[in-house]
Order: sequence, then C-alpha cells, then structure tokens
Amino acid sequence: MNMEDLLSTQFVKLKQAMDDLFELKSAGHVLELKQSSGVLMFVALKHANRKVKRNIKSGRDELHLQKSKVDLSRLQLQNLLYEVSHLKKEIVRCQKFKSRDTYLELLSDKEYASKFADEGSDKTNMSDHQTHLYRLECELRLRKELDNQYSALLTSKQELLQDNLKQTQKYLSFAPALRTLLESTKPLHDALQLSLDVEWKLSSIFKYLPRALYILFINLQALQRTRKEFASKVVGFESDQQMQELLLETENTLKERRHFTEKSNSCEAVPDNTLDRVLKCHPLHIHLVIDSPDKSSELVLIVRYWELLKCVTVRAQLNSTNNSNFQGDANLVEDLLGHLYPDDTGDHIPIPGIEYELQNLNLTAEQCLEYLVENGFGKPYCWLQSMCSIATVNKKQHFKHEFNLHKWIRKVFTRILKRWRSWLRLTQQIRGLTYKDVDLSASKENIYPDGLSCSLVQWTAISSEEFNIQNAGLIYNLTPSNGITYTSYRAVIVRGSAKMECFIRIPSNYPLDIPLWILSVHWNGRHTSMNNAAIKMMEFWTNSLQPSQLKKGNRLLYSQLFRTIYSFDIFLETEGAMQTVREYNKEKPYISTFTKRIRLRPYKYIMKGSTFTFKQ
Amino acid sequence: MKETDLKRAYNNVLAQAISTSQKFLFAGNLFGDIFVLSLNELNKTNEEPPKKLKVFPQGCDVDINCLAFHRDFLIVGAIGLIYGIQWNEEEETLSTKRAWEIKIPMQVDAVEVPDVNSFWLCTETDSLYAGCGDGVVYKIDLEDGRIQREYRGHTDYVHCVVGHPDGRIYSSGEDGTVHFWSDKQKEPTAILEPHKNAQLLRPDWGKWIGAVSVNNDWLVCGGGPRPAIWHLRSMECTRTFDYPGRVHVCEFVDDSVLIGGEHNHVQFYTLNGALQANIPVEHTASYSAVWQTSPFNFMSIAGFSNKLHILKDFRFLDSKIEMYGNVQGDEVENEEQDDNDDDDDGEDDSF
Repeated sequence: MNMEDLLSTQFVKLKQAMDDLFELKSAGHVLELKQSSGVLMFVALKHANRKVKRNIKSGRDELHLQKSKVDLSRLQLQNLLYEVSHLKKEIVRCQKFKSRDTYLELLSDKEYASKFADEGSDKTNMSDHQTHLYRLECELRLRKELDNQYSALLTSKQELLQDNLKQTQKYLSFAPALRTLLESTKPLHDALQLSLDVEWKLSSIFKYLPRALYILFINLQALQRTRKEFASKVVGFESDQQMQELLLETENTLKERRHFTEKSNSCEAVPDNTLDRVLKCHPLHIHLVIDSPDKSSELVLIVRYWELLKCVTVRAQLNSTNNSNFQGDANLVEDLLGHLYPDDTGDHIPIPGIEYELQNLNLTAEQCLEYLVENGFGKPYCWLQSMCSIATVNKKQHFKHEFNLHKWIRKVFTRILKRWRSWLRLTQQIRGLTYKDVDLSASKENIYPDGLSCSLVQWTAISSEEFNIQNAGLIYNLTPSNGITYTSYRAVIVRGSAKMECFIRIPSNYPLDIPLWILSVHWNGRHTSMNNAAIKMMEFWTNSLQPSQLKKGNRLLYSQLFRTIYSFDIFLETEGAMQTVREYNKEKPYISTFTKRIRLRPYKYIMKGSTFTFKQ
Repeated sequence: MKETDLKRAYNNVLAQAISTSQKFLFAGNLFGDIFVLSLNELNKTNEEPPKKLKVFPQGCDVDINCLAFHRDFLIVGAIGLIYGIQWNEEEETLSTKRAWEIKIPMQVDAVEVPDVNSFWLCTETDSLYAGCGDGVVYKIDLEDGRIQREYRGHTDYVHCVVGHPDGRIYSSGEDGTVHFWSDKQKEPTAILEPHKNAQLLRPDWGKWIGAVSVNNDWLVCGGGPRPAIWHLRSMECTRTFDYPGRVHVCEFVDDSVLIGGEHNHVQFYTLNGALQANIPVEHTASYSAVWQTSPFNFMSIAGFSNKLHILKDFRFLDSKIEMYGNVQGDEVENEEQDDNDDDDDGEDDSF
C-alpha cells in the first residue's frame, strides 16, 4: 500500500468516526467510548504519518544515490568523448607524419640485394616496415663505411699530390742540366744523322689534332708500317705557339658563335660571308698520299675536319709524276671517290641530327655542302666518316658506326686501289683504241684470231647528247641513274661494204656498272636493235658480258669489242647466206646458221678442247 | 649493265598460253622466266591500278621456246625437252617441280640438242604435236608421255606446227616448205613451197616459213616469203598480203588474218587481202599471239620487248603491260641487293 492510500484510509476512518460522533452529538448522545476510540485513531494516523515520512526519506536517499550514479556515468561519457577527439587528432598527426628516410636516395633493389644478400637471410618473416628499417640500417652502415673510404682516399690523394709536387720539383731541377746536355750533344746528333727532332716534332703535333683526325692518323700510322703504298702526314702546323693561338681562336669563335646565335635570333638574315667564319675547318688536316698501281702518279687525299658540321671531308687531287695527262683524268678522281660505295656520293652531310643543329644557326645542310664544294674542300662521304669512327646515317637512313677501324681503313684502301687499277686499265684500253696503238689481232682477248675479218677503223669520244640522240629508244628502258655521269664513244667497224657503228657509254661508277654498247649496222639500210631482232640479240650478247665471266687477265672493254666484232662477222656471214649475190662467205665454224623460231644466229662461242665453234 | 636492266632491255618472249579456265595468261622468255598475268585484272572497270605480274623462274639455262596449256598443266618446250608443271588455280602458283618430262630423242647424225620450237595441242585426242629443231614433228600422247609418231620430211628445223582435230597436220620449216600430213599416211600428203612462187619470194630474207595457220578450207603462211592465203585442196595461192616485215606470226582470227613479225606493227587483213587494222607494237619482232573470244575478247601479242600488248577488240591496242619491273615482290629484291654492298670482290675486271 502506498503512502497516499495509507494516509487516506486513516483519514477516511477518522472522518467516519468524526461524522459518527457529530451525529451522536447532534442527537445529544455523549458517548465516551466512541470518543476514546476516535482518539485512538489519531494514534494510528500519527503512526501512518511517521511511516510516510520515513518512506519519503528513504525515497529521497535512493534518489540521491541514483543521481550520483547518473552523474558518474555522465562524467565517464564526457571522458570518452574527449578521448575520441584526442585520438582523432592523433590519427591526423600520424597521417601527416613522414619519416626522413623517404628523402634518402636508397640503393636500387637489385644493388641492395647483391650487397646485403648474406645478411638479410631472416627477413622472410619480417614485415615490410621491418625490412625497410633493416635496409635503412644496412645502408647507413654502408654509407658510413664508404664515407670512411672516401676520406681515406682523399687523404691518400692529398698525399700523392704532395708526392707529385715533390717529384716534379725534383725533376724540374734536372731541366737546366738536361738542356745543357742536349745543347752539347747536338753536334753528336748531326754527326750520327739521327732524326730525333722530327719525331719529337711530329708527336707534338698529334695532340692538337681533333679527335676524328687523331683516330684516323694513328690508324694510318699503324697501317703504314705494313703497307708501303701510301704515306700520311699532318699539315698546317708551324709552331706550338701558333697552335695554341689557333686553338684559342677556335674557342673564341665558338664562344662568338654562341653569342652570334643569340644575336641572330633577333636579326634573321645571315650574310653569306659569315658562312666562311662559322664553318671554319680545323687548322690541322691530314695529307694522305697513295701511289698509283702503275707508279705513274699519286693520289693526294686532303682530309679536313669541320668542327661545326662534326664531319670530315676529303678532297682529292692527282699528281702525275710523268706528265702524261689523258682525257678523263680530271673527273677520274672524283668519280673514283664518289662511286666507291653505291649510294654514297657525298651529296649530303651524313651526321645524325646535323640539320637541326644547323637550323639553330639559321643554316641549311645544302648551304654548307655548297660552300664545301665551291671552296674545294671536297665532300663528306660516309666511308670517310667511318674511317674516322664518326657515326653516320646514309640516305636510306641506315645508321652505321664503324669500330673496327683497322679493318675498315684497309678495306677502303684496297677498294680505292682496286678501282683505280680498273680505271687505269680502262683508260689504257680507251687510249689504245683511240690512238690505235694496240694490235687487236694479237690481243689475248681475241678469241678466234684466225677468223678476224672485220677491222676497227675509228674510236672517238662523243658528247652524251649525241649518244642520247642516237639511241633514244634503248636509254628509255633503263633505270634512272643516281649521280652517275657517262662518257660516250663511237666506234666504227668495217667489213667489205658493211659498216657497223657502236655507241659505247661508260658509266662514272665503273666497274660497278660496265660499259653499255649500242649497235647500228649500215648494210642494205640501217639495222638497229629497234628494227632488227638479230641486231638486238647481238647487242644483248655484247652487253651481257659480265666481268666475272672474263678469263684471268682479259680486259673488259677489249673483250666486249671482240664479242661485238665476232657477232658482226657472224651476222654478215649468216645474213649473206641468203643473198642472191654472196658478199660474205661462211668463214666461222658453226653448225647451224639459224635455230629457234627467232632464227637465232650462232653468236656464242665455245671452246671444246682445242676446237672452237660458234653456237646459238 | 646491271642484270635487271639487261633483262628489261633484252626480254625476248617467244611463247604464250592461256589457262583452261581462261583466266590466266602465261608468257615465257629466253631468260627462262614465266610471267603469269591474271586476265580478270585487265577486265576490271574500276580505276585501281592492275595487280603486278607473277614470275616463276625456270632456271637461266632453260630457253622457253613454246608453251601450251592442258587441263591443269602448263607444258613448256625447252631445248630437247618438253615438261609439264602443275598450275594451282586457287593459289595462283606454278609448282616449282616438274610434274613430268619428255626428252626429244637425239637423231643419229645430230650434233646439237634439238629445240622444241612449236606446239599444237589436240584436246580431242589428248595429243601434243611438237615441231622440233631436228626437222621432225613428234606426236606425243599426253596420257602416257609416249612419242606416238614422228613426222619426218623437213630438211631443216620446224618453225611452226598446226593441225585439225580430224588428223590433218601442217608444219612449216626453215627449209621453206609447208608439209601437209595425215595421220593415216607416213609420207606427207602434200608439200607447199611458197618461195618458188616469184610473187611471194623476197630474196634478201630467204625462203623459210615462220608461221602457218589453217581453218577448214584455207591456209595462211609466211616467213621470209610474203604471207599468202592458199586453198587447201587446190593448193593455189589466192591472195597475198603486203606485210612489210619477216613473218613470225600468222593466224586466222574470226574472219580476218593476223600477221606479225619483224616489223613495228602487227596487221589484220581481210581474207581478200585488204588491210583492216594496223597496230603499232614496241617489239623489235613479234613472236607470239594468243587470243580468246569467250568469256570476253582478249588478245595478247608478245615479242622481243619487255611489254605484252593487249588487244580487246582485235582492232586497236588496248594496253601495254610491262614484264620485268612490274613483278610482285620486286621491291624486296632491291632491298636485298643493298645488303650485299659490302661485297668487295667480283666487281672489278679479273686480274
């Protein structure tokens, strides 16, 4: 029963008693008994009141207890909140944290693995971080070690320097004595004819050579010891002092050039005379003298180095020792070098990227080349760059950097000599034919000396235009020539009333290409390869002769000539067989006059043992 | 002169053949190369440039004197030898191996291996007639490669052999005769000698007969002598043609006669001898003409030049097709040549 009910029941009872008493009183009764029981009720009321009071007190106590509990938990929560915010802050700080080791340049994984392979055996069970730490530790150790080494080396270097200085001083002290010794022994040198001076002078020149020329020169020197065909020397040297000055000058021009480029950006036009200044070649160049195979002349190659173009050029000149200049000599050297290797005519600067460097200077490669050629400095052939170990890019964009210089230089020389020899043989043949100072019938290229019925009556040089006019039809069929020029000749061969004109075109890259023959027979009208199949077959037979088919010692042009002459004979003899009035009888040994539907004549000759026959 | 230039300048095409499918043209030359041209390429209407030719080298020692096409074989007549090579139509390739070979027997008195100069293929009897350098026409059974019969009579080599499915064979030769043969008779049934006809003889050029062609009633032949039409039964010359050169090709084409040879034109004549068409060619001499009328009109004339001349209406030149220099895979060859630049030897005169 709660406190309210407790009190209210007491009050209800009391009221009841009161009401009863009032009723009784109003009725006039006085009842002592009833009064006393009513009074007793007050006691009960008082008891109930006390009970209630006690209840209230205990309730208050309990409330207080609970309240303190709530306060406590609230406090705890506050603490937690605070802690969370604190932790959050901590997290942010952690996130922002960066170790200094990330700024360190560590060894690459590979290097690390190789250097500390033995120490890191137990790192399989380490975390990434741990391994990293371990690695840092290791590297720190390594760095310390290296630092120690460095300082040790530094001290040793210092020591050596000191030592050096001491030694130099010591040797310098000898100098005056040595100089006097040199002076005093000079008469002895002269007496013994020692040329020590020259060698000293030479070696002192070397050091001023640019890298490319130095490489070339050293290799040439080495080769010279084994081969006697050529000699090389450095030209342009006067004295050490002059050299120093020149070098200084080049340096200055280089600086100037840099300055100049800055300026030239503002003013666009480059005056032509600056090309002279800008392109300046190195003051030293190499003279290379090659003796001709027949010792009648020598070929002088002047090799220059161009700092700006980063390439070397060669200019050739032919010095004849016995003034027997003949036609074609002027172009010979140029043709020789220009066609040494196919597609290497020296018409562009073969240095990779040179166009762009020149562009920076407002120059073009063409301009530079033009300048080089105009001023007689020659051309920058690829093979020449390779001789100096300069990397090249040819017209077809093939990159080449020769390292086996010894072999390459030797190869180039062999090639030049071989070409030269071929040219000399060719010019000899041409000379022989032009001046008719060869006995053709006795020549070894004459395959069938008994049967030579035709005679060569004329051999003259003609202009290319004339050649082209005469033979417009065939030239049209050939692939276009790149940089190849031609010398043309006209030969006339006669037998009886028949005449054959041969037009011979000799390419400048002989013997890469061989002379081309075009035939024209004048006999009962003009027969050429355009209107007569037999002549065309004849022409084919002459032109199909390849140098590789020649017998040892046979000369190409003579062989071609004899082929043509015999074909002409055969043509006349076979053609004559059908004539009503025979002019030419069969003189050559052949079995059948014609074969095949094309009525092929027996132009080919075969030697079987000692019997000689012509065959189709 | 470089080999490529040499071949271009002196390409001599002696023989041509059209495949059974009538889609491909084969042309063989004296350098031993067989060019294959796809005829569909010619018939294309669009503007695309035609595909390049294919070339199948037979070896430089093989002179391709004549060609014929039978079933799926290309038959090549070389020197002393006839051989067949399989043609793969799908892949458009000639086999590199010879499928079969027939050797021409050497005569007892022969000094030289005879050329196989001319083929006539009789598809009805599967036999091949080969006119050879020893003056004999060999009849070869294509079933088993046996030589069935030899037609002997010419005193010099045979230039040309043609025939009829009924067994009549006509051969012309360097000896100036046209021999008429029958498969029932050993001796020639008739011999024609055009050079004996004063009207036909051109004395400077000899008596040889370079080409012969027949239809049912008529025969046309020419060579050193002027080309002329002969009646087959009366053996009389009814008409001569004024072709100005030596004759290496004459054919009946539809109602006209095609004549070609050593002249810068080939000519079409009517049977009456009137000039119908005069077609300029680049050949120094024309040696071969092949044609078809179905599925489309097509004629190719080849000779001593690097170009095939294509005619589509048999009256006008349609196009010229280059051979060397127009071959698939040419560019690659050039590259290879560059690699050989380092070769130092073999380019000089020998010493």
